[in-house]
Amino acid sequence: MEGLELLCFKLISAAGTARSCNIEAIQEAKKGEFEKAEQLMKEGEGLFLNAHEIHNTILAQGTNGGNTDGSILVMHAEDQLMSAEMFQIIAKEFIDTCRRMSELERKVN
Amino acid sequence: MKKVYLFCSAGMSTSLLASNMQKVANDHNLPIEVKAFSLPNLQDIYEKEHPDCILLGPQVRFAYEETKKTYNKLNIPVGLIDASDYGSINGERVLKLAIKLMKQGL
Repeated sequence: MEGLELLCFKLISAAGTARSCNIEAIQEAKKGEFEKAEQLMKEGEGLFLNAHEIHNTILAQGTNGGNTDGSILVMHAEDQLMSAEMFQIIAKEFIDTCRRMSELERKVN
Repeated sequence: MKKVYLFCSAGMSTSLLASNMQKVANDHNLPIEVKAFSLPNLQDIYEKEHPDCILLGPQVRFAYEETKKTYNKLNIPVGLIDASDYGSINGERVLKLAIKLMKQGL
């Protein structure tokens, strides 16, 4: 496998792992482990930037016309990227909410 | 025939990795069947097929600890596919991971 297919796989892997980092960050924030959450968000951010670079390379190369398998894979790769972007936003909001709840809990107890 | 089953969010791109791994296994005459599924179907697939090894894609790394906890109890090794092996569709390295996990047991 080479060319566009390989680029798609790299993108799916980077964007997919970035999204997983964001989900793990929320899981840590729920436990009150905010430092771990921040670390995971940072890891996710690096992977997301990496994903964007690969995405730019794909866009610069243009689409390879006629290859159906290829274009479905491109769609899937794009979907992973978008989903990672969305999850980053959701995770930031969620961690912030968890932080506020945790502070409130500390005040109450 | 050992069943090595791969799981990711949709099972779509992972099926290409699975066929790559299957090819490597066939080339070496290894009695291994590699298939890809989506993570939400894991419990169903387990009940129907009883895989010998479960591998998770890097997209679902967040589910690794829990999956490991659940399926190790059922004597099934669970592994996590390295993001760079996944990104380069390295069937050989991922197949080696599966074999290692099955050999070393729990």
